[in-house]
Amino acid sequence: MPTRAFVSPWSLSRWLDRSSLLLFFAAWELAPRAGGLLETFIAPPSVVLMTLWELLLSGELCDHVTISLGRAIAGFTGAALIALPLGFLLGGNFRTFERIVTPVLRFLGQVNPFSLFPLFIILFGISELSKEAMIFWVCIWPILFNTITGVKGIDPLLVKSARSMGTGVVPLFFKVILPAASPGIFTGLKMGAGTAFFMLIAAEMIGASCGLGWLVWNAQINFQIPKLFAATVVISVLGMILNMLLVTLERRLLGWLDSSPNH
Amino acid sequence: MRLPAAVNSLLLRSSGVLIFLILWETAPRLAWVDPYFVPPLSIVVREIWLLLETGDLSRHLLVSSWRAVTGLSLALVVALPLGIILGRWLTGLASALEPLLRLLSQINPFAMLPLFLLFFGIGETAKVAVVTWVTLWPILFYTIIATRTVDPLQIKSAAALGVSRSEMLCKVILPAAVPTIFIGIRIGASLTFFILIAAEMLGAGSGLGWLVHNSAMNYLIPRIYAGATFIVLLGFLLNRLLLYIEASLSIWQGSQSGSPVAGQSRASSWRPDRGSAVAGTAILVLVLILGALEVRRLNQEALAGASSSSSHAKHFGTPADSSDGGL
Repeated sequence: MPTRAFVSPWSLSRWLDRSSLLLFFAAWELAPRAGGLLETFIAPPSVVLMTLWELLLSGELCDHVTISLGRAIAGFTGAALIALPLGFLLGGNFRTFERIVTPVLRFLGQVNPFSLFPLFIILFGISELSKEAMIFWVCIWPILFNTITGVKGIDPLLVKSARSMGTGVVPLFFKVILPAASPGIFTGLKMGAGTAFFMLIAAEMIGASCGLGWLVWNAQINFQIPKLFAATVVISVLGMILNMLLVTLERRLLGWLDSSPNH
Repeated sequence: MRLPAAVNSLLLRSSGVLIFLILWETAPRLAWVDPYFVPPLSIVVREIWLLLETGDLSRHLLVSSWRAVTGLSLALVVALPLGIILGRWLTGLASALEPLLRLLSQINPFAMLPLFLLFFGIGETAKVAVVTWVTLWPILFYTIIATRTVDPLQIKSAAALGVSRSEMLCKVILPAAVPTIFIGIRIGASLTFFILIAAEMLGAGSGLGWLVHNSAMNYLIPRIYAGATFIVLLGFLLNRLLLYIEASLSIWQGSQSGSPVAGQSRASSWRPDRGSAVAGTAILVLVLILGALEVRRLNQEALAGASSSSSHAKHFGTPADSSDGGL
């Protein structure tokens, strides 16, 4: 049972905690109403919400969100499918080879995805593939590096004792290596997913004709300030939801890590 | 370890790079990959040499690093004092502001990019402001955490010895906070290059991002590789420089837990390291000054050349000029 005192969502202290947020939104609402330069450049939250509602009703928003998320998921899945097995092989079986390729991989991981983006456009056209290739490139490095570190960091004692008890290769992998490496793998997946969404917006701004990034960029070009703010809000909210999802998932999947030393 | 092991590991490490470079050269030559899309290493090197000879590359390099360093230093100037004040003295205000700061820091900076372009135009201010915005948050958060988690024992014993407030800040709090603050700075610096290159691609007339974008628009593929190589180099160098400054600023950390004898070696190793920190900072300041001059000259050139079409033609291909983002 929770021992902590129950705090009503409407209690004063709860609102005091969020007073800065409330003040921020109040200032945002009131500042443009004061007129002047701010009026032309800043859309107050009420107008932004109305624009969002209109975008939602016309179905435009749903289209862009689905397209953006689809690209992010496609690139991320591709990266995970390649990086995870590769990471296990490099971290587990081919240690010498891993030492040879690590400097090259580090170098490639440093390559700024934006400098490659023009190449992707030339190679794949401005189709979906160029955006997905970009997300793939961004995601693959954190997943790969963290998987390698996770697999290399497994306590050899665990593997040896499992072997001495006669565990076969397949159970060894699923019951010992995978759980032991999961914190590292999950860190990689989390970093990959975070940067995927981050980069996607920029990729869509530079070369796309739909998606959330394009929505923002197009609104700016056409000077549709409420739409620009609305799209920015949607992107930020989506990013936050993604972040929260990952944190919850981590707690659910890796919760046993915290409690294991206690028993 | 034995010496052969060290040699061995060096050989192992460099062989990967060597094989990669050889593959880069031979694969296009033997037509394993299309040499049009992946030009061999030698052609890229020649392109870099050509760019260096005309002075183009060094100019873009200087402009890009000036933007990065200016944005980074502006963020430092704002975030460091703010972080120290919020973390050390106004802790109540810090916890009140935290939800707002979290919200602002989680806004995708790329989504903010058009807003910045809207407010500051496509001039230098927009680029520097974007970089500042991006680097501000990690530095601020890590500074707050660092100053808040200074060992209370150190602060109490310093207070018991009667140090003044300014001495407490400079001699106790800051040295203890430096390693954590530098984590924030390094995170900020790595983000800087992502956002800077994107900003230069979207709306600029110079800089490495513009170079890559412009080459792509004109199908100068070796040039894309040349630009990309230098973007990697620049990011790598900035990271190294920061690591270097960090190592020399927190040199005492290593010998902290050592025996009293370590004090002697510390005294001898302190000076050169402080010197190298000064050297690193001097490089950054030099980039700031030279870059400022270069940027000013470029902007004046752009102003003067706005009427004549010859210099304007160089802007071909930036979406900001073609006024339509959807390619």
